[in-house]
Amino acid sequence: MTTPVGTARRADRARRWRQPTVWLRLLALGLFAVVPLVIPSFQATDLAIKIAIFGALVASYDVVIGYTGIVSFGHAMFFGFGAYAVALSVGRFGAPTYGHLLLGFLIGMAVSAAIAVLIGAFSLRVKLIFFAMITLAFAEFAGILAVQWSSLSGGEDGLSPKLPGVFAIAYDGGRILGIPVTGKLVTYYFVLAVCAALFLVMARFVASPLGRALQAIRDNELRAEALGVPTFKLQIVSSSFASVVATIVGGCYVMWVRYVNPESALGVPLMLDVLLMVIIGGIGTLWGGLIGAAVLLTARLLLPDLRGLATLLGGSEIAQRLTERWLLVFGVLFVLVVFFFPKGVLGTAREGLARRRRAGAAQEG
Amino acid sequence: MKRATPALIVLALALLPLLGMEPRVYLTLTVAGLAMGMLIFLVASGLTLIFGLMDVLNFAHGALFSWGAYAGFSAVLLLNRGAGWVESPSVWLNTLALLAAVAAAVLVAFALGVILERVIVRPVYGQHMFQILITLGATIVLEELIRIVWGPNDQVMPVPASFQGSWDVMDVIVLRVPAIAIGMGLAVYAGLLLLLHRTRVGLIVRAGVESGEMVQVMGHDIYRYFTGVFALGSALAAVGGLMWAVFRQSVSPAMGGEQLIFAFIVVIIGGLGSVTGSLVGALMVGLSYNYVAFLLPKAALGVNMTLMVLVLLIRPTGLFGASR
Repeated sequence: MTTPVGTARRADRARRWRQPTVWLRLLALGLFAVVPLVIPSFQATDLAIKIAIFGALVASYDVVIGYTGIVSFGHAMFFGFGAYAVALSVGRFGAPTYGHLLLGFLIGMAVSAAIAVLIGAFSLRVKLIFFAMITLAFAEFAGILAVQWSSLSGGEDGLSPKLPGVFAIAYDGGRILGIPVTGKLVTYYFVLAVCAALFLVMARFVASPLGRALQAIRDNELRAEALGVPTFKLQIVSSSFASVVATIVGGCYVMWVRYVNPESALGVPLMLDVLLMVIIGGIGTLWGGLIGAAVLLTARLLLPDLRGLATLLGGSEIAQRLTERWLLVFGVLFVLVVFFFPKGVLGTAREGLARRRRAGAAQEG
Repeated sequence: MKRATPALIVLALALLPLLGMEPRVYLTLTVAGLAMGMLIFLVASGLTLIFGLMDVLNFAHGALFSWGAYAGFSAVLLLNRGAGWVESPSVWLNTLALLAAVAAAVLVAFALGVILERVIVRPVYGQHMFQILITLGATIVLEELIRIVWGPNDQVMPVPASFQGSWDVMDVIVLRVPAIAIGMGLAVYAGLLLLLHRTRVGLIVRAGVESGEMVQVMGHDIYRYFTGVFALGSALAAVGGLMWAVFRQSVSPAMGGEQLIFAFIVVIIGGLGSVTGSLVGALMVGLSYNYVAFLLPKAALGVNMTLMVLVLLIRPTGLFGASR
């Protein structure tokens, strides 16, 4: 049976391998894959895998904010659930095994899904902005709980779990092609593979009929509802899906960093970072998350070095404070980006490309 | 009768903790809770105007709160160094010092509010997501500016001598600063009600929220009114911040953040746009926090959230919210 959608999809599929975006994505994956082999410094490897981790987290947030049009402030909380579930399961029951690792991921996902459905069920009925506030309140509560319930979570000190088998720091797999295989390297590739897989799943999710229905809700909820789209149910499905993805990413984060505390994995600051990343990369682009994460994490790594500038400026106290507070520069930049590039890097680029293509088509025709 | 139902429920709930404690303890806690509620109301009232009435999600409200606290802090320091108004035992000089601090906070926040509304809020009216993002950016900038001007560390807020300590009214301990805050909160409440419901300005603002175009057609520059309302809301945040700083006897650059969440919770509990609603909401939050903190200290942390969830489950539009 040929429906208009089916025809369009087939045309899309035929064009797939001729589009530059596919090759760009493969290139990005390739770059991530060679970083630990080519650049021996730990800092570079750490930056690369964190870009992959936060890129995936931001993309999952984009599913909620960009593709469904729901503003949530609790997304970092689900990341934290994943991080804590894995850290607890691996670290609290004697010698770690693969089973514990898997169990941690599964428990984290189950908890996240349950809480996401619960939050959605009583706050999405009313008004989207209530969802934002209730998720914010939940996130705050989770942060406080993690600090207070220190017998379980380790309080502010956090947890530093030891990973099993090939992921352990002490693991030595000899040399393959002259490169020493360490636990850290295995973890790197494992996390990279999980993030890549998550990206594929999310891309599939937003391009599916369900994803299209979500975008219809985002663009015009009343109309979508009139067309028979079960808006309330689909919004819950979308936010739960994104939460579960964020949970898996959180687990990966703990596997790489081997440490989790309330501030780094649960708090409002993390949520702000994710928001900034999604804006910089571009809302509603999914892959923009990688760009946003790359920009923010690199800036965070390099900008504090600006402190040397203070001596150039004469070393007065105000000048010194000014350079210490690179966040100020960042805040101004952020406001400017929101104003002048509300679609972010990737969104603006896509728009420019589409315009050129249209101009080209007009010339030919 | 139907309009009075929420108020009755609130009263009944407020008397419930009596079952678990002595009346004297209950009264002390109630006074403390009322004071805390009023402090929260001072912040939330500004947010009611900006978020409830104008429908602008202003996350910079917390930063304006901190700016108010720091402006008042500077004023008090200056007055104390120059004339010794704060340390002097004279009630009048102390009162003048506090009033000067309030005036400084209001002036600074009003000016900041005008700038914020003109420059970054005006282009994003009606777009919630961009309001959140852009005011978040403004929050970062404003907080960092505080750190640059006043330094990044917590500082001690000097409290005028006659406002320190407490009164002991028939074995019930009444702290002085919260008592002043209660008075201020009531004054702000009355002032806002008068302004919104008894003056022409209030009429135009309320009409402008319903239908901006229509009001413009009638020949009123609705944007100028909105700038005014936004700046007024900012000034209220600053007063709240100042009183909070006096109450806590300290100022810190990030002090606005947690208060912002409180204020949003209160505005949502009370119902968007209702000044009475946020007063009741703030008192509920303040009272329940104090009661629960006494009866079950561990549960106090989640009490605000539970309150909000309960209210939204029973009345999705908040206690006094019109069902739009």
